Amino acid sequence: MNSLTKASTLSSEDISVWFGQRQVLSDVNLTFPANKVTALIGPSGCGKSTFLRTLNRMHELIPSAGLSGSVFLDGEDIYGEDFDAVTVRIKIGMVFQKPNPFPTMSIKDNILSGLRLSGRKIGNAEELVETSLRRASIWNEVKDRLNDQAISLSGGQQQRLCIARSLAMDPEVLLMDEPCSALDPGSTRRIEETIKELSSSMTIVIVTHNMQQAQRVSDQTAFFLADDNTPGGVVEFGATEQIFNGPIDQRTNDYVNGHFG
Amino acid sequence: MSFAPRPAIQPWKRANNSRRLQIILATLLPGALSFLIVSSASIDPNLALIAIFLPLQIIAAGIVGVRAYGKRGFGDALLVVLTTFFSAFVLIMLLSVLLSVLSEGSKAISLQFLTQNNIYVSNTTSLDYGGVAHALLGTVLIVGVTTIVAVPLGIAMSVYLTQSQSKLRGIVRTVTQALSGLPSVVSGLFVLSVIGTFGFSKSGIFGSMALFPLMLPTVARVAEEALKLVPADLRLAALALGAPNYKAFFQVILPAAKSGLVTALLLGLARVIGETAPLLLTVNVNNGTSWNPFNGPMETLPAYVYGYLSSSFSSSHQRAWGAALVLLLLVAVLFGAARFLGRAKSMKSKPTKQKASK
Amino acid sequence: MGKLKPMSDSSVPKTAPARRKLSAGPLSAGDKWFFRSTSIAAYFSFVLVALVLIFLFLKAWPALQHQGFAFVYGTKWIAEDGQPLVMQIGPMIYGSLLIALVGVVIATPMAISLAYMIVFMLGSKLAKVFTTLIDLLAALPSVIIGLWGFYVFTPTAISWETTLHQYLGWFPLFQVENPDNAFRGSPFIAGWIVAVMIVPIVTSVTREIFSQLDKDLINGALALGGSRLSVFRKVILPTSSGGVVGGVLLGLGRALGETVAIFYVLQISFDINWGNLLEGHGGGVASWILSRFGEASPEEISGLMAAGLVLFVITLIVNFAANTIVNRSQPWRKN
Repeated sequence: MNSLTKASTLSSEDISVWFGQRQVLSDVNLTFPANKVTALIGPSGCGKSTFLRTLNRMHELIPSAGLSGSVFLDGEDIYGEDFDAVTVRIKIGMVFQKPNPFPTMSIKDNILSGLRLSGRKIGNAEELVETSLRRASIWNEVKDRLNDQAISLSGGQQQRLCIARSLAMDPEVLLMDEPCSALDPGSTRRIEETIKELSSSMTIVIVTHNMQQAQRVSDQTAFFLADDNTPGGVVEFGATEQIFNGPIDQRTNDYVNGHFG
Repeated sequence: MSFAPRPAIQPWKRANNSRRLQIILATLLPGALSFLIVSSASIDPNLALIAIFLPLQIIAAGIVGVRAYGKRGFGDALLVVLTTFFSAFVLIMLLSVLLSVLSEGSKAISLQFLTQNNIYVSNTTSLDYGGVAHALLGTVLIVGVTTIVAVPLGIAMSVYLTQSQSKLRGIVRTVTQALSGLPSVVSGLFVLSVIGTFGFSKSGIFGSMALFPLMLPTVARVAEEALKLVPADLRLAALALGAPNYKAFFQVILPAAKSGLVTALLLGLARVIGETAPLLLTVNVNNGTSWNPFNGPMETLPAYVYGYLSSSFSSSHQRAWGAALVLLLLVAVLFGAARFLGRAKSMKSKPTKQKASK
Repeated sequence: MGKLKPMSDSSVPKTAPARRKLSAGPLSAGDKWFFRSTSIAAYFSFVLVALVLIFLFLKAWPALQHQGFAFVYGTKWIAEDGQPLVMQIGPMIYGSLLIALVGVVIATPMAISLAYMIVFMLGSKLAKVFTTLIDLLAALPSVIIGLWGFYVFTPTAISWETTLHQYLGWFPLFQVENPDNAFRGSPFIAGWIVAVMIVPIVTSVTREIFSQLDKDLINGALALGGSRLSVFRKVILPTSSGGVVGGVLLGLGRALGETVAIFYVLQISFDINWGNLLEGHGGGVASWILSRFGEASPEEISGLMAAGLVLFVITLIVNFAANTIVNRSQPWRKN
């Protein structure tokens, strides 16, 4: 597997989001360069996860969802005529907060499930399963029980399985929505290491509540904030080093130093 | 941050006019086309439904789907068409039942129909005479007795299931569920056997007895759901204040579950009010009005319908439809009241919903 | 401070500290009364089931004793004056099962379709409307369905049967051996009526299961690029299959006990209708009981009691199995 396979640049331009009549995000402009890890931080409820879901067109699954602005994958608007949601989701994968392996399938079938669900051909199944599990740093733990039920794994293992499942689709971008918040510190550490390894072959955007985690894994960080009843937005965006050690905006300073949130 | 008014943008919808037109055509054309084919070539309509209309509909929807979403669009279109087709069957049959009862029954309904009994009515008497008053009364009396016994017991059962810590709860619940599968005719046979064993004679009270095992599980089940909805914190708060269990129940939990329990009563009523077989076996019918459920025959609405159904006289059919309409209206009122209470309660107890906004 | 503890010597067996018994203290008199009376109420279900079984058995015993085991599998019912009484309900048991099966086969696709539409396709307003309609259908008394079935539905059903027979008459299920019996009062019609009655239960259970599926699971499938159809076939159906089967069994249980709705629609004749769905003969246990009851002698009533007993036992078993399957906690539910 080529370590610099087609990682792509993802960017959002003037993204604003509504639920019904209520605007929850306003004018988010961010760029996620290829092969870099970007962290989205901010207090609960300011729209980070909502924003994440606009990046792989999961947002539109909510009945009252509304959106304006564009999201560009390597310069092409994923909301444009040339793209349909399924194609987007194949190129831009997502790992959720709570591990969600398919309970009726074995470990092996879970890995292959994405290809089966999206109707794509599976080449060499065993090779793909091994590669995906290796990239997610869980191969050694499960290589002897690939046919066991996926839910027999521990929480941390299940989450790495879900990562492997997304990787099997060979995505250009991987979105992660607080992937470690339901896990113990040991599993968290292993996943953070995995994230760093994966960034050499794809672009990663990770929403996290844990500022130390953001500092450990990300190259750049965006700080989201929403006051009561006003739409959320990005207060500051830049290199992780700068956001945490020398933020420009006072609000960023207050947040990263634990004065609120 | 800008506060611009919400633009009506859902860019994924791509609901341009061309797409809308396609969808409308795909929905209407197959039906119209099939209709034309059937009427001009006089093909059996049933065959046409399956062999012409359905395939056409699938193809039309499939074309729209593929044009919009590519290869997977066909599968999705197939799913939508088939589920809609099957669902439509059910809804059409339900509507047919409701409409036929309404239209046929209303021919018989009048004030006189609702207030007279059939004591002077024969098979050929015109519909201007006679009615269902005695049946209505009988239904109210017999079901009323059942309710008086079944509701407190059902609620007590649900209290046991939700308030006590007994390990036997699972078994109790299972047996209650098993009881809910009792065929109504068997319940009638059971009471008939009691009558025979002790030498009683049939009367309204035995009808109530036969309805009892049918009503009890329903009341218990719905009441249990209602009690489960009461937040556990309320009970804990009461206990923490030093209340004994029974006071916590009567003063805190019961009032909180009030509307749910009334729903349990109403749904239990609706369940048994139309039961025929148990009554046929245990209560003798009567053309006149009787007020005494403990002695003598008593007419009920379902038995009335049953009795006049099989007659070969058209006026009798009308009477059956009329009684069916009265029965339907009763059930609809009970059902509507139960629904209304359920909605009122859920509006009170839900905090204002916050949309996901992480 | 006491003296230092010696290093643990593994040869000395350690005794676990004694567990304390926790109890909520003595119950007040009011509470004793409260729990006792609700317990009594709770056991009412047991009492009822037991009473039903006992009384039925009491009255059924003469017939069972006289007829022996042949009661269940034999095929004759002779109850006329001057002839020895023979009562065997084999054909009716078969008939009940056949009709119930037809009903289930018809109802299940409809119920799953409705549940899918309500949970995954319709907006919340329409979904509520549909749910209300289905619940209304569940509340309709069976005698009204029977009335509708007899007068309104039968003509349509007969035209369906005619078409079926015309084009598929070669298929064993759709053959008609005796043209005089064709179409009217057949298991086909009875099956449709039964289906109408059980669709609400199966839909309700399936709807519950679909709506309690972990949303994350479905989102996960969609995020992987699944389409509607593939998510339905590969994630929704497999995960909910257990519960849906339970729901279908519940419907089967209800179908077996259905009496009045099909009583008029069926042309009851006492023989086994092995599988000619379009032919009007055969019957069901419940409807047979109702049809014989009016003019039955005391001895025959004993036989009818026995028939009821058998029916009850069958439905008990089916319902017990169904509820066990539905109640088994599904680990992938939201809660």
